[in-house]
Amino acid sequence: MHTLPSTSNDLENQAPEGGSVALLVSAFQQLLPASSVIMSTEGQRPFECDGLAVYQQLPLITVIPETVGQVQAILRLCHLHHVPLVPRGAGTGLCAGAMPHAEGVLLVMTKLNKILHINQNTATATVQPGVRNLALTDAAKPFGLYYAPDPSSQIACTIGGNVAENSGGVHCLKYGLTVNNLLQVTLVTIEGELMTLGGEGLDEPGMDLLSLFVGSEGLLGVVVEAKVKLLPRAPRVQVLLAAYDSVTAAGDSVAALIGQGIIPAGLEMMDHLAISAAEDFVKVGYPTDAQALLICELDGTDAEVEEQLAVVSECFKQHGAQHIRIAKDAAEADALWQGRKAAFPAVGRISPDYYCMDGTIPRGKVGYVLTRISELSETYGLRVANVFHAGDGNLHPLILFDAGIDGELERAELLGGDILTLCVDVGGTITGEHGVGLEKMPQMPYQFGDAELAQFRRLKAAFDSEDLLNPGKGIPTLKYCQEYRSLQHG
Amino acid sequence: MTDLTGQLTQQIQHAYATKTPLKIQAGNTKAYLGRDTSGEVINMANHTGVISYSATELVVRARAGTKISHLNELLAEQQQRLPFEPPSFSGEATIGGTVAANQSGPSRPWFGGVKDSLLGLGLINGYGESMQFGGQVMKNVAGFDVTRLQCGAMGSLGLITDISIKVLPEFKAGHTLIFEMTAEVALEAMLQWANLSLPITGMSHFQGQLYLRLQGGESGVASASEFLGGEHLEPKIADVFWQAAREGRLLQPQDNQTLWRWSGPSDTPINTVSNTSLINWAGSERWVLESNSNSPAGGLTQHLGGDRMAEVYGAVNASQQALQQRIKYAFDPHGIFNAGRLYSWM
Repeated sequence: MHTLPSTSNDLENQAPEGGSVALLVSAFQQLLPASSVIMSTEGQRPFECDGLAVYQQLPLITVIPETVGQVQAILRLCHLHHVPLVPRGAGTGLCAGAMPHAEGVLLVMTKLNKILHINQNTATATVQPGVRNLALTDAAKPFGLYYAPDPSSQIACTIGGNVAENSGGVHCLKYGLTVNNLLQVTLVTIEGELMTLGGEGLDEPGMDLLSLFVGSEGLLGVVVEAKVKLLPRAPRVQVLLAAYDSVTAAGDSVAALIGQGIIPAGLEMMDHLAISAAEDFVKVGYPTDAQALLICELDGTDAEVEEQLAVVSECFKQHGAQHIRIAKDAAEADALWQGRKAAFPAVGRISPDYYCMDGTIPRGKVGYVLTRISELSETYGLRVANVFHAGDGNLHPLILFDAGIDGELERAELLGGDILTLCVDVGGTITGEHGVGLEKMPQMPYQFGDAELAQFRRLKAAFDSEDLLNPGKGIPTLKYCQEYRSLQHG
Repeated sequence: MTDLTGQLTQQIQHAYATKTPLKIQAGNTKAYLGRDTSGEVINMANHTGVISYSATELVVRARAGTKISHLNELLAEQQQRLPFEPPSFSGEATIGGTVAANQSGPSRPWFGGVKDSLLGLGLINGYGESMQFGGQVMKNVAGFDVTRLQCGAMGSLGLITDISIKVLPEFKAGHTLIFEMTAEVALEAMLQWANLSLPITGMSHFQGQLYLRLQGGESGVASASEFLGGEHLEPKIADVFWQAAREGRLLQPQDNQTLWRWSGPSDTPINTVSNTSLINWAGSERWVLESNSNSPAGGLTQHLGGDRMAEVYGAVNASQQALQQRIKYAFDPHGIFNAGRLYSWM
């Protein structure tokens, strides 16, 4: 169990009084079946955290609506009684963004899980927020289409959560994040009103409210419907793997490839520790003596892929690849991907616990940053395995620790914090795709100045003046920032 | 290459103190867009220069007054391009205006709009505070997306000072095919071809012809071209066509005419949007020329010509209007930036 020192300060002011809680519960019980209003400790235990399990908190009440009307009524009631509300999808997030509020309502959206429409002509799908990411791609398959954003959690994570976090995946470099694959969102405001952002076409007049909403981590409203873009499946997908004796050589290969005008559909890198852990786990034939691996996916027509494959192979060889393996068929391609996709659980097998970071850096700084991470790893006495989206500079250092050893979690968090500030120092960001949530609040005042943070708070107030939607997450309060700065200078 | 951020900040701080309305202007190529606005001109034309450009990072960062034509030339030296293919309006359009007006070209359905390439920006708000949002990296989800919020805001939320954009490699090959077709048949063809994973970067129907642009690698373009058939258009003529399409010059309203824009699902039947003269973006954007006395029914926005004091971008429902006014207030409490340019009430 773990909480940050001062984020709860502002929450205490919002604690509902006993009387209004009783009124709220009775209103929820009238609105929803008994099994969808959960108040018991054991009933709420499964919801106490998201994918970042070191942050845990039981909510006051958990509600599981099945209709948009019920969602509206729930928000209206929370607004009326001034009770905080935390929306949650499948709970696969990695920043404690969906961690419940002790004095608030947890709104579980997974029962709104219908794919409402797939339009083959326009290559779009209209879905409810609880639809799983992979379920959408599966449903689009008979139409020759798929949904491009594919976070590692795609088997479980929901589209609503993807919108809230602006989720990415391994194909972002070419196909973008959630924000680039979304046309329209219908949300419920804190007042319980329905509002539609974006449009049926490609560019609607006026400020881009849809983009503002994407990635807003449940602070601005609750998604109840999304219209997303689908992409035609490429006739051919080719995967190749290249092994290097240094991460710098692998990094240089990436820069050189992009310099030659090739944008692969996916371009992933793993370091030695990650390669060994993955190979031990899935046994797909990764060269375990390599210091770095690149997994490169090309897609397009046969002609396009052939043309690119020749350039990529040549480029990798010229930049020090010691071994290149070109997948002969789909099964081998899947196998090559499998090690990368299983990298997190694989690392989980070699350490009691691991902590996944999510900084993004300019690609050219990969060598420097990995060297610094390795130095920090020694300083803190904790191993770090590196898995990352090399194409777009999004690092996922996995810090290995044992929560059973006194002080090790705290050391892992300090090391993680140092890695994130390092990312900012080289011109990058503290989070590329996982979000800020509760976890990265300490680094927000490092990345942003007071004026930017104040601007964020005014924007939040424009949607939610009482700070009821997912309070204490995403955007630090002024007080929090002042405390942070005095600690830094103290 | 001049950084006027300090001077611009001062001008805005003064405007905040004195509640003076400001009218943002650089190349002045977009005066025809939005509603008429007045105010003390805040001139961005000399706030220019590329701050950084790294071809292997695929990122260029430039001051808002930098011309699109300059960026195009710079990127071309490294065989790269702006993915959203913005209009350059005889070389006068700037990157700041392009972002504020959210203008992208014929490749929009395949390579995205301005927001899809936008990574970060500098903004001076209505308090005169100079701020930075987003950054120069490909993925960044820290804080609210104030960067992309500016797309289409027509300068109503603040003064954009600098912009970071993701760029892409230039195409190695390309050509344009034309097909003699009615609008109905062309729309069918567009819907069918758009879903085939072909290297298409433009599909428009104009004056009885479907224009289809292919761009990509040599062999990909050649095989797609063979598959699609049609007639090859002379490259010089094709360039003129796509440039006119990009700059919105294919349809030129006369004094008594208004050019209307429709945006919607690409499979909307042709006759749903009466009197369509141009289909763009594979069917999802359509253009209608009408005499000023004739307003087309429902959902179209007034692009060029007509009464520029009217609500040219149409009606917005009450709760959206209230939200946008609160957002405006969050950035610009005294309403000094481009008052009324987007809507009369903002």
